[in-house]
Amino acid sequence: MSTEIIEQDLPGIGRCFTADLADGAKVMVVIHHTGRRELYVITAGGSPDEPDAVVTLGDDEARRLGSVLSGAYFKPAIVEKVEEVIGGLLIDWATVRESSPAAGHTIADLEIRRRTRMTVAAILRADGSSIIAPEPNETIGVGDRLVMIGRPEDLEGFLRHVIG
Amino acid sequence: MGETLVGLGAALLAAGILARLGRHIGLPTIPLFMLAGIVFGPHTPGLEFFDDPAELELLATVGLVFLLFYLGLEFSIGDLIGGGRKLVTVGAIYIALNVGAGIILGFALGWGDREAFVIAGAVGISSSAIVTKLLVELRRLANPETRVILGIIVVEDVFLALYLAILSPILGEVSGIGSVVWSIGRAFLFLLVLAVVARKGAALVGRLITTDDDELLTIAFVGLAIIVAGIAEEVRVSAAIGAFMVGLVLAESASRERIERLVLPLRDTFAAIFFFTFGLTIDPGDVWSVAGPIAIAVTMSLVLNAVAGLLTARMYRFSPRAAANIGSTVLARGEFALILAALAASAGVDARVGPFIAGYVLILALGAPILAANARTLARFIPRRWTLPEQST
Repeated sequence: MSTEIIEQDLPGIGRCFTADLADGAKVMVVIHHTGRRELYVITAGGSPDEPDAVVTLGDDEARRLGSVLSGAYFKPAIVEKVEEVIGGLLIDWATVRESSPAAGHTIADLEIRRRTRMTVAAILRADGSSIIAPEPNETIGVGDRLVMIGRPEDLEGFLRHVIG
Repeated sequence: MGETLVGLGAALLAAGILARLGRHIGLPTIPLFMLAGIVFGPHTPGLEFFDDPAELELLATVGLVFLLFYLGLEFSIGDLIGGGRKLVTVGAIYIALNVGAGIILGFALGWGDREAFVIAGAVGISSSAIVTKLLVELRRLANPETRVILGIIVVEDVFLALYLAILSPILGEVSGIGSVVWSIGRAFLFLLVLAVVARKGAALVGRLITTDDDELLTIAFVGLAIIVAGIAEEVRVSAAIGAFMVGLVLAESASRERIERLVLPLRDTFAAIFFFTFGLTIDPGDVWSVAGPIAIAVTMSLVLNAVAGLLTARMYRFSPRAAANIGSTVLARGEFALILAALAASAGVDARVGPFIAGYVLILALGAPILAANARTLARFIPRRWTLPEQST
């Protein structure tokens, strides 16, 4: 039996997603307009008047935690090695979603290096294969994990341009 | 110039420090910004940042423009329709009770017809800013009644838009019924034109102001909001409604979410100046001299919000706790009442209206959060059968 998630609007605050779990507990995620996320946990038999836990997460924290929950979070071994070599530079990775501007396009199409000043160091395909130092004509697909290298201040632009 | 800048900086810092102290005990910012204006204004002993509130008039008006612009931006008829007929009914009952009683109180005070109309709006409309903040801070977003509370706020916002459209003509012209009707007609005509623009031209306006660059986008929407507010003021429809309509138009554009994010710091800063400036105009002595009417209005709102909370809980078959939550939360009064007071003051209504609204807002903006935080205790005084009649038999 799959758990149904109900999505509702909270005018002036944001959107909320409620999951009634099989054991009677209830988990609610509120995504504020400001990007802040809140997690309400009400255990079985509890009342919403007294949530058992309310956790506030920043945008980045929520994304990381979300990928852990979905089983998608991992730290590729290659990254740890690279990190040692180029200390000050930022190395990060992100999964391409269906809605991402990059889905179905090549690295050259997207002009990633010119427009975001970051470099895609590796593509980890959804099927488990990986391409180290991909060519510009490599096509990025949904579910691919991109490992990118660059300056920390360029990360936001990269995520906006490529991941959406 | 230097003196004004020092005053402005000191005003913001004082307002900020006071609000920060208040935050520790769960008090909202709006009444404290106003309080800072009263304390550091010309009517109280001690430090005085400005002897003449007029020095801040332009900045305060920009604050008003941003407040209404943001309201328009957040406004969604979809929310209203999505909530269903029951929600609209609940919202309408709330407004009928509170604004209706406000009108009666306004006329009973005998300060004048225009004054009665302003008082009705001020005591009748909840503060969206304080209510939403309370719900978040008291961690009540998971409660079933929270959606109903937000629904009531949406209905109140719709009412506010219509109310503001009528307010300006009523405040502006008093010579004969004909000219009042004409200017109300003109206000609605202006609204209609903007509504058509919102419906048909939103995509075009959106394209005109949209760029990838946050800086250029900000300048474009701020310019648009201020110019339309200005034009609206010039045709005597009021800057408030003009700014609101620009918000509505941009809410339909693709840049909505970015604008929401970019306008927040602007709105917060200028709205603080607006509330502070309003505080500057208030003499505590004048507030004291209308203490009687304030006490009556506060008592009236307490009773009516309790009634509204119980009725709503009954309609939705919520618990007494939910009834207490609803009544104590929607009780909050704040930005709208102060906006009305400022608009009324600039139209030259009876001088008692400003101090009256200031005192009323101060009590309810500070009192509602305290009551809402203790809703659990309040709920003990509500018999279950009041909200859940079927289950008592």
